[in-house]
Amino acid sequence: MSFPWKFELERRLEVSRWVSWGVPTLSVLAAFFFGGIILSLAGAPPIETYRAMAAGAFGSISEWADGNFFAVTETLVRATPLIFTGLAVAMAFRMLFWNIGTEGQLVMGAIAGTWVAIYLPDLLPWLPQTRWVYIPVGIIAATIAGAFWAFIPAIMKVKLGVNEIISTLMFNYIAILLYQQLYTGPWKDPEGFGFPGSAQFPEFSWFPKFSEIPVLNVLSGRIHFGFIIAVVIAGVLWVVMDKTRRGYEVRLLGENTNAAQYAGISVIKNVLFVMILSGGVAGIAGLSEVAGLGHRLQAGLDVGNGFTGIIVAWIAKLRPLSVVIVAILMAALFVGGDQLQISLGLPSSISSVLQGAILLSVLSGDVFTRYRLKITRVVVGAGVVGEEA
Amino acid sequence: MTTTQPETRRLVVEMRDITKKFPGVIANEDVTLEVRRGEIHALLGENGAGKSTLMSVLCGLYQPDGGSLHLALHQEELCETVLRSPRHAIQAGIGMVYQHFKLIPTFSVTENILLGAEDTPTVLDLKQSGARIAEIAERFALPVDPEARVWQLSVGEQQRVEILKQLYRGAALLILDEPTAVLTPQESDALGETMHSLAASGVSIVFISHKLDEVLAYADRVTVLRGGKTAATVDVADVTKADLARLMVGRDVLFSADKPDAELGPDALVLHGVTAMGDRSVTAVNNVSLTVRGGEILGIAGVAGNGQKELVEVMTGLRTPTAGSVTVRGADLTGKSAIDFIQGGVAHVPADRLGQGLAGNLPLTDNVILKSFRSEPISHRSFLNKKAIREMSIRLIEAFNVLPGDPDAKASGLSGGNQQKLILAREIDATDRLAVGDEPAVLVAVYPTRGLDVGAIEIVRDALLNQRAIGAAVVMVSEDLDELRTLSDRIAVLHGGEVMGVVDPASTSKDDLGLLMAGERLS
Amino acid sequence: MKRKLFALVAVLAIVAAACGGGSADTTTTTAADTGGGGAAEEPMKVAFVYVAPIGDLGWTYQHDLGRQAVEARFGDKVETTFIENVAEGPDSERVIRDFANKGFDLIIATSFGYMDPTITVAAEFPDTQFVHISGFKNADNVATLFGRMYQPRYLSGMAAGAATESNILGYVAAFPIPEVIRGIDAFTLGAQSVNPDIEVRVVWTNTWFDPPTEKEAAEALLAAGADVIAQHQDTTEPQKAAQAAGAVSISYNSDISEIVGDSVLTGPVWDWGVKYISIIEEMMAGTYDGSESYWGGLSDGVISLAPFSDRVSQETQDAINAKMAEFESGATDVFCGPIVDNEGTEQVAAGTCMDDGSMLGMEWFVKGVSQ
Repeated sequence: MSFPWKFELERRLEVSRWVSWGVPTLSVLAAFFFGGIILSLAGAPPIETYRAMAAGAFGSISEWADGNFFAVTETLVRATPLIFTGLAVAMAFRMLFWNIGTEGQLVMGAIAGTWVAIYLPDLLPWLPQTRWVYIPVGIIAATIAGAFWAFIPAIMKVKLGVNEIISTLMFNYIAILLYQQLYTGPWKDPEGFGFPGSAQFPEFSWFPKFSEIPVLNVLSGRIHFGFIIAVVIAGVLWVVMDKTRRGYEVRLLGENTNAAQYAGISVIKNVLFVMILSGGVAGIAGLSEVAGLGHRLQAGLDVGNGFTGIIVAWIAKLRPLSVVIVAILMAALFVGGDQLQISLGLPSSISSVLQGAILLSVLSGDVFTRYRLKITRVVVGAGVVGEEA
Repeated sequence: MTTTQPETRRLVVEMRDITKKFPGVIANEDVTLEVRRGEIHALLGENGAGKSTLMSVLCGLYQPDGGSLHLALHQEELCETVLRSPRHAIQAGIGMVYQHFKLIPTFSVTENILLGAEDTPTVLDLKQSGARIAEIAERFALPVDPEARVWQLSVGEQQRVEILKQLYRGAALLILDEPTAVLTPQESDALGETMHSLAASGVSIVFISHKLDEVLAYADRVTVLRGGKTAATVDVADVTKADLARLMVGRDVLFSADKPDAELGPDALVLHGVTAMGDRSVTAVNNVSLTVRGGEILGIAGVAGNGQKELVEVMTGLRTPTAGSVTVRGADLTGKSAIDFIQGGVAHVPADRLGQGLAGNLPLTDNVILKSFRSEPISHRSFLNKKAIREMSIRLIEAFNVLPGDPDAKASGLSGGNQQKLILAREIDATDRLAVGDEPAVLVAVYPTRGLDVGAIEIVRDALLNQRAIGAAVVMVSEDLDELRTLSDRIAVLHGGEVMGVVDPASTSKDDLGLLMAGERLS
Repeated sequence: MKRKLFALVAVLAIVAAACGGGSADTTTTTAADTGGGGAAEEPMKVAFVYVAPIGDLGWTYQHDLGRQAVEARFGDKVETTFIENVAEGPDSERVIRDFANKGFDLIIATSFGYMDPTITVAAEFPDTQFVHISGFKNADNVATLFGRMYQPRYLSGMAAGAATESNILGYVAAFPIPEVIRGIDAFTLGAQSVNPDIEVRVVWTNTWFDPPTEKEAAEALLAAGADVIAQHQDTTEPQKAAQAAGAVSISYNSDISEIVGDSVLTGPVWDWGVKYISIIEEMMAGTYDGSESYWGGLSDGVISLAPFSDRVSQETQDAINAKMAEFESGATDVFCGPIVDNEGTEQVAAGTCMDDGSMLGMEWFVKGVSQ
């Protein structure tokens, strides 16, 4: 006797609007369901747990009523580097340049930002020591550093045919070692008793917190100017990709290199352009972390934001504005995950498992936007040709 | 011919009222197809008529939404069958030979045939299997060396391997998907003989085609599909080419083009002593000098692979010549890039529509502006003008009757003919735009009618002649000698990257063209 | 079908809970954050922030033993909670602030990298007491704690020096920061006190918790001829590598003789519970100096030496115990001159001892250390 139902995947010829939104939503729900099973196995009540996670990531109504938006701002703080790296990855992947090196580009941006904050004031004493000067200079420096770190693999790819997956990945390690060397060695804080970490940045190079910016000061906490930059860049990239000639060239190259060349579009120029853009954006992520949060170059910068950016970009289907949303949800997952330990006393590995389960469900749910599940009743009897026959 | 008349033979396949719907499209509606034992049955229809869908149902790729399938390949009586996968279809005795072969070039013939076959043992005994394959090859008169590597074989031989592979797996019904599209005329004739000998040994054949001549030459019966429905099933002996064309297109079709005398304009494209390397650093174009004037069509003839691709790339700036010069409308563009050629007045209908001419995943709007996105009004400064893009898309879609005409649909969703119409619309729009005063634009069209159905061919040919009439300099590369002779004012014949001669089609016989193509100079 | 329905209901319920979670603070640890006046029945809430999983059997494990000692000592008068695996850097500030926000009375941040975040958060929550381990920044409500680990390091060096036959000791070290350098120097001086020809070879891993890297580092030292392996790390991998190679080792943080048997001779260990209990007692009594810089020695019990392995001779054990008594009594200390660094410069003159400030900023290696 055989199973009377047959399940098959059939390719969807057209992805309808309903499917493109409905399937990811369902897969998120499925993810929470499977996550719930994991939680139950770990001895935690799933509903209670999710409630704690949601409260940890977004706060609760009673907190909002008190004007306490601590949880939301922390989620946005956590999302900020992910928006940058997600955008950086999305740009590069759009034209099939597999930039796995955003982690390193981020670190290089932080190094450049540190140099500007700590060493530039002595080098150029005439430069006015205000945020109006030092923040733009820092952004430019971080952009150049990140872009440079992406430019090398890009030029190696277009001139020598070096596989960018390997080269960008390797450049991560070079950047991270350089960064560790700097904050444990030459750039170590002279007044830090030899402990690793650079000197603290002078305040005129700090990204302002929302609490210091008019209008935005309804949000207190750590949320800072970097989040604004990230959202603005997402908007700019959306305009560039969707509304400009350059964006059209990049889109065409990503879809069909031959057609792009046939249209007179230079592959080399665009690869370099996109990689400089991608690396530059990743570089600002690094600056945002050091100038917005830590205010010094120290351990804890290479925590995988570059790699998480790949997941963010992928779930966002490489669309700039979606990257912002996905990055915030991803951050909520991380921030909410802390509550598993803090409020429920679960081991930290459970939150990693839960995050993994949710991400896996969302990514595999993507299959169902492109394929439909076809369930057919198998008529057992004459005429069926198949394994059973 | 065979001793028994096909009509008297029993049915082996009966597809009754097959309906298959896709979102927004009914690909097959109540289609009926009957195939007899030992019959060569042609499935004729324009691109998009539903031939491929019907065959995908027959080989288990698609499940029909309506209708039923009855098979008698392994037994005497017709029996209703549900084919749930290609694998089931193979078990049921149905073998599909795709247009693009599914062979592994570095494997031997034997290895390719054994690959994926049901009863292939885990440990191969190539000698024994090879002997079995050789035996089948002999029985069906399909000469092929079982030990040869696939990459060493000609296209025709590779096709034979595909057929052999299906026979080895026990196919009693062969489906051949446009089998002649990749073959030379001689190879096509050889395939015709193969089909007849297979049919004589009891194998049934369905071959998909949109070429009337080969249907008439090879098939016993033909089922014509039009717009997803069965137009008719007829005996080939009872119909003429014009009858088939009418069934296929739904109206009368003219097979010759009226062509007024050329009114020659100034030199538009001049190649002088051009030499260029191919992709493998071998000289592909050797010392070619050609001049194309406004108001004429220069045909380029030659067996595929004799430098046509590289010559076209030189003409369009996609390949830099190693010697010689390229002048477009008086400007020396030697060594310049594709963009300079585009802006210098060269339009290009490429051979590979989805590979080069279009970005299949992008909407028609994005494909329409492929050549004009740099100029007003499509873009202003760095920004694209969405309104102008939409207007241009709708204008070109309507001018060339591209169907379906949704500007936001993906280009890959169009049939081959409609893809070609879209490209032609775009490139002809470019030549119109680039023709300034007396300066004719250049239109390089490569295999412009390849793979198209009769209706689409007509449109393409009309468009090319129309360009000639308004003074454009047209270069047309083709493998179809009849087409070259009908449309061209002059024909340049390529062999081994050299021009063997430039001849007047009116005073040159097909045989003489053949000799030139074979590398012999006319005395 | 039933199961499907259940899934749907469960999912809906989860969504409803996530959306309508008006009063989220329902779990036991966060229920009582209204107590400003400190009624007697309100337990004192203590939070611990750990850098590694508590299963590391090293640094974090010892802190968690301290936490358990607090619970055992105070029962339901104190409620403790902890979060493990918190990366140093921006994330840690969120976690620390979250605890403060939830009304914890005492927050203990147990890694150096939490220093700046602790100071920042402490400024926003002046009523909360913070304790930071191993740093150097204090505030009115931020105390710093550390132990004079160099003393047991010296003693363990004596055991290593007596055990070696090759006269080469291997030292797998995390980062070249004063804390680690001090430990290496003390260990070397201790070894040289029993065997002047000792050479200590150091490999830097630039990690605190990376088992494969630390194991490889130990293997490299063993291959270079070292027959005793010491380490300054939060894992036990170097000791396991030593045991596998038939060599002996000196542990750190915890007594790990259950894992590697008698191959571990002894080792410096932490006992944080002693200090944590005293802080909480003082806080309850209202006498705690919330801005103290505490650097406890052997006499306080916050640091000590793990039990000796049978492989340490009685003679050596006696010598070590005698030295330990001298340290405890304050009769002498490790860094008393003359001490020459490994470049030949005299760093500490005969008859003087280093002061705490110099020791906390130590950046040179004694003679006999090679990197």
